[in-house]
Amino acid sequence: MPSLVIDNRSVEVPKGTKVISAAEKLGIYIPRFCFHEALGAVGACRMCAVMFLDGPVKGLKMSCMTEAKDGMVISTDHPDAMRFRSWVIECLMLNHPHDCPVCDEGGQCLLQDMTVSGGHGIRRYGGPKRTYRDQDLGPLVGHEMNRCIHCWRCRRFYQDYAGYRDLGAMQIGSRTYFGRQKDGRLQSPFAGNLIDLCPTGVYTDKPSRYEGRRWDYQRSDSVCPHCSLGCATMLNVRYRQVIRLEARPEPAVNGHFICDRGRYGFGFANHPERPRKARIDGSEADLQTALQEAATRLGEVSAEYGAGAVAALGSCRMGLEAQVAMARLCHERGWSAPRFYLEPDLALRVHAAARSLEPELALSQTELQKADFILAVGVDPLAEAPMLALAMRQAVRSGATVALIDPRPLELPFPSRRLAVECGLFDVALPWLVRQAFGAKKRRKLDEIYPRLLTVAGGEGLEKKGLRELKKMARLLAKSQRPALVCGTDMVPQGLPGGAADLVRLLREQGKDAGVFFVLPGANAMGAAMAAPEETAGGDLLEAMERGEVRALLAVESDPLFGFYDRARLERALEGLKLLVVLDHLPSVTAAKAHLLLPVTNLYEAPGISLVNHEGRLQRASAIQEPGTPLDQYGGGGHPPRVFSESTPGGDLLPADVQLEELAGLLSNTNAETPRLNAWEWLAQRQPGAAEAVSNGAPVYGERLLPIQVGQAALVEQPVASPVAVGKLELLVGSWFASAEELSSYRPIPAGPEDEPALWLHSETASRLGLETGGPVRLVLEGGELPLTLRTSDEMNRRTALLTPGKGASWQMLPGRRTLLDESAIQRADRGES
Amino acid sequence: MLPQKLKKKLQKVIRAADYSREKAVDVMYAVQRHYGYLSDEGLAESAALLGMSELELEELATFYDFIYRSPVGKFVLHVCDGVVCWMCHEQWSCTGEEESIVTYLCARLGVEVGETTDDGLFTVLPSACIGFCEFAPAMLVNGRAYGPLTPEYLDEILDQLRKEHDELAVDR
Amino acid sequence: MGEKVLLQNRRRDRPATLDEYRDSGGYQALATVLKGVEPRELIQMVLDSGLRGRGGAGFPAGRKWSFLRQEAPHPRYIIPNTDEMEPGTFKDRVLVGCDPHQIIEGTILAGYANQAERAVIFIRPSYELEAKVFEREFSLLREEGLLGENILGSKFDFEITLHRSAGRYICGEASAQVKAIQGERPRPDKEGHMTESGLWGQPTIVNNVETLACVPHIVRNGGEWFKNLAATPEGAGTKLYGVSGMVERPDCYELPIGTPLREIIFEHAGGMKAGRRFKACLTGGASTKLLPEKHLDVRMDFEALAKIGHRLGTAAVVVFDENACLVSACLNLLTFFTRESCGWCTPCREGLPYMRHLLRSIELGEADEDCIPRLKEMTEMMDHSYCAFAPGAAAPVKGLLEYFEDEVREHLVRGCCPYKGV
Repeated sequence: MPSLVIDNRSVEVPKGTKVISAAEKLGIYIPRFCFHEALGAVGACRMCAVMFLDGPVKGLKMSCMTEAKDGMVISTDHPDAMRFRSWVIECLMLNHPHDCPVCDEGGQCLLQDMTVSGGHGIRRYGGPKRTYRDQDLGPLVGHEMNRCIHCWRCRRFYQDYAGYRDLGAMQIGSRTYFGRQKDGRLQSPFAGNLIDLCPTGVYTDKPSRYEGRRWDYQRSDSVCPHCSLGCATMLNVRYRQVIRLEARPEPAVNGHFICDRGRYGFGFANHPERPRKARIDGSEADLQTALQEAATRLGEVSAEYGAGAVAALGSCRMGLEAQVAMARLCHERGWSAPRFYLEPDLALRVHAAARSLEPELALSQTELQKADFILAVGVDPLAEAPMLALAMRQAVRSGATVALIDPRPLELPFPSRRLAVECGLFDVALPWLVRQAFGAKKRRKLDEIYPRLLTVAGGEGLEKKGLRELKKMARLLAKSQRPALVCGTDMVPQGLPGGAADLVRLLREQGKDAGVFFVLPGANAMGAAMAAPEETAGGDLLEAMERGEVRALLAVESDPLFGFYDRARLERALEGLKLLVVLDHLPSVTAAKAHLLLPVTNLYEAPGISLVNHEGRLQRASAIQEPGTPLDQYGGGGHPPRVFSESTPGGDLLPADVQLEELAGLLSNTNAETPRLNAWEWLAQRQPGAAEAVSNGAPVYGERLLPIQVGQAALVEQPVASPVAVGKLELLVGSWFASAEELSSYRPIPAGPEDEPALWLHSETASRLGLETGGPVRLVLEGGELPLTLRTSDEMNRRTALLTPGKGASWQMLPGRRTLLDESAIQRADRGES
Repeated sequence: MLPQKLKKKLQKVIRAADYSREKAVDVMYAVQRHYGYLSDEGLAESAALLGMSELELEELATFYDFIYRSPVGKFVLHVCDGVVCWMCHEQWSCTGEEESIVTYLCARLGVEVGETTDDGLFTVLPSACIGFCEFAPAMLVNGRAYGPLTPEYLDEILDQLRKEHDELAVDR
Repeated sequence: MGEKVLLQNRRRDRPATLDEYRDSGGYQALATVLKGVEPRELIQMVLDSGLRGRGGAGFPAGRKWSFLRQEAPHPRYIIPNTDEMEPGTFKDRVLVGCDPHQIIEGTILAGYANQAERAVIFIRPSYELEAKVFEREFSLLREEGLLGENILGSKFDFEITLHRSAGRYICGEASAQVKAIQGERPRPDKEGHMTESGLWGQPTIVNNVETLACVPHIVRNGGEWFKNLAATPEGAGTKLYGVSGMVERPDCYELPIGTPLREIIFEHAGGMKAGRRFKACLTGGASTKLLPEKHLDVRMDFEALAKIGHRLGTAAVVVFDENACLVSACLNLLTFFTRESCGWCTPCREGLPYMRHLLRSIELGEADEDCIPRLKEMTEMMDHSYCAFAPGAAAPVKGLLEYFEDEVREHLVRGCCPYKGV
């Protein structure tokens, strides 16, 4: 560990550390522009110059390019260094428009900070300034090139780090221009990070332009609720409105970046139709009255039909506190098992994942980047968890190979190996691959130890070409030392999550530093598994409603009609209920049908929520702002009405867990002051993994709550190959980037072409069926017909069709999540028929 | 649209290379020769042939000074303004006025720097030192150097080029 | 004076043919080496000869070759650098146009010494005629078994291809040139070493063509012979001096390295043009300091020039007469450098236009007194840029301020350029 002296203070750092980072350890922030922890050091801006007084290097050198070595003596404020840095700033400011008063970056601008601290104040350059014409880069990222100081960060991030190729550096010298070839929307789903990265105001957040200065905002550490990765965000609120989100650096999870869905998907929080007043049978009421009424009516149903006739349905977007409160309520009242999924099969898969995630197996995004071979099964990274794609790319940049087994046409910003087999063959392909990674002798041994796991009938159902590809992947697995298995839970067979974890355990026992990375259906799927491990014992809720066993439904932060494959059926079941109580903050279609509507706060309102991400890490989305109608809406755009009240308008809301606790109290009928455990204590009792993270009834954030105890797995039989029969197609529904995720669908990122309703087929299948790429087709289903545009791909499975419905519910007339269709169900439509 | 024959030829060239990007400049040159300059269409077609995005190729096209992204004449008169030729420009005129080959040519052809003559034949552009310093002042026209230049010699060259404009192999 | 080595086959209007080259001893060196000289021996030969790079940096060629480790992976590349865009420099063009096979033989020998598979000649757009010469001769050589598989019946395979540049001075820098060949935006890249990871991430040697042209002669006649050609004890070999500007006979002259500057200008190049007086010259192209009359006796070799604070560079001698405004000349040079800056680092990208602006205001007589110390400070700041481009761009101005400050002051005092209307 080299030891060096910076500004008369000693510091010891790991070998390979650059001087600029060594200084940071001492709390010395050497000025810089082009250096960025995630993008590395390139030595372009020359801003980080320091004086090396003694040691192996002497003179004025760049601290970001120089490795810290023993015996170095460095002065950051040597007069020559200060003079040089001041001159560099002067050079950078030569062409700068000096428009801080009208620039959104002002107050959070690295250039401002460096200019002031660099001692450059008076402008002595008397020549003309170089100016540029700006581009329209789309609705999300602003572009004002005159402010550019050519730190090259944007190009390095956009092309090198993220792998997209529609933004770059054109021209030469001081005329160098960062932008697209033509005006147009930035194609990368990570483009918003340019805003955080740009040290000046070239790239700014367009939707929140001119809303305020950084010091105007109430800022708090939040967590993204749109997928199970749980990336860290920074919340900015003003006048009761969420203004913008930024990426928050969290080295253990997402590093420095977030995806655009996470950055811009917060529109649900400010939605003008958001429920803010409780409703009883359609009429407004105050929240306390509504809670009373809810308790009364739930009690009545329970009394009349039995406790088991009341069911509660939550979701993966709830905070852990609310999930616990809901589970407790069901438990204490003897209601039907608490559920967080409408589809029991999905619940089973998620529970299998949760159960099998032991601490040594779990991988975070950061850890995944260090894998040397990544095998992803049944997951579409960019659609389900975009930052996963970015983490995979970093692994590829370090030399790893990524192999994906999935039938869909996956678009990824890095080269990868593909095996496009249908979902029904995952259970067979994966173990076969792992088995092939070992020599013949070893294989026989493993067969004895893991009879159920590995012995599948010689890759049954897989074609020769598929087996060849699996062999190649197996060879990569054999050579790897740090393999990672990424496993989806959405479009996969029941046994896959458990099987995947078993295989990772096998690999570890055979000496590999293997890990598993599950992708779950929502931000707090793990929390749901922890709160209600007994969910799967409850059986199918929809069927229970249809059979009349369940007569009352308490839907908490849940909109089961959104995204359910057979909407008509669910609507009928809901209509048949005696009582539907909804607690939610979204103006959802289920909420519109509720007899009782109790509005709740969302994660951006005080006090915030806790979430457990895909790797079992407990994180806190904190919020300071008390709930209320945004001033913008309350004032109709003008000055708010000059009315005084004791409460905040539109603020008659309470967090879901508080409301559920109140219901519990109202329903319990006991006056005895029995000391009641708080939510964390209750959770800690049932989940030993949580017990470690809870001290004195309060959670410790940032740690993994593993292992998670979830009830006995339904015994999955020997994996069986279920290929799609000839003449048939398996129809999958794609969760395409913006419009299909529930929260962000409320104010979706303005639609791009990928949001148009489309049907994907393999190009050979399409031509065999006489269909034209880009042409209109009809998907003929029992419930009706869907007009769609046909897209083709050479990389997807030939017997799979992928439906990307875009916005709107017309597609919700399928018999299941994965539907077997006759090829004839896809027909050519005449133009003008859509 | 690139003619099929040219397209096939370029595909062959690209396939023969270990890495297709190595041929980026060659492809741009060939497409530029076909269209007279590297038009937007030409850029898009070139990018498609090379498997690069349009932006990636534009990064190169706008970096280099012998790739013309704006229309130019059949003959691009790259007048060297390197220090040796400059020295000779300065000596060139005895009128004491600010005269140079560029101003002479522009006056002769009736265009501004960067403009193309109406007959589509000549564009006048400056160039960094072209490496013909012993023949200063010099200029480069479609890969051929001319110098030392005098007003008379320049007129001669222009006439000659006009005559040859169908036959002169445009090889840049 | 003068044994002509590199220019021995020079003709007025055409390059030497393959036969003419062979008649003068060409490809004998290759035959000798392929028959029984180990690659390491060949590297030692070049090292012992004292051959220094002739592209501008003057790095010993043998030492560069020795950095490529024996166990380094394959394939390996040789890049003969024919980019030559340093203003005032034209010697490589003359060399190719005079005797291309010298360069080719040198390249194959460099390939053999480094056990490389392929050479990629990087050539600038204004040398299109020379590019065609190369291509024509390659075909000939393949037919003669001097290129391709099993050269001269040996086990050594080697191929040469040509890569045409689309312009820009920065492509002359080795790592930028590699990026240019790879179809990437060219810029210098200090990460990694060329001999470990260069073209396509493989071990690569970049040499100037004049450097490579010396190699066959070194092999044929020995390192000692090469050393003794020099006019100074530290020097080695002959040197191509490109003389241009206000001299009687601007041309490329092959002379012993270390020939005095005065001799080069006033003897070989015929002295100043009729009726003109010497004022200043550049010694090695645009990126070198303006040199005044008092230093005319300096010997034109790396060490001798370094001793007086100047550089040999590309040995391109650009001669200014008493009518030349040196401020204006520096303005022309800075305009060139500003245009050609790749834009990677701040001092070069922004500092050079800043310097140009100051020079312009001096030339227009609009500048203040303080522009002189400001300019001086800037030339020093350029030393901390990313690559050698910016320090080179500052060099003429350094010379201007060191030796011709009076001329600058005159501009300021007069409020205009004293040379206008002369």
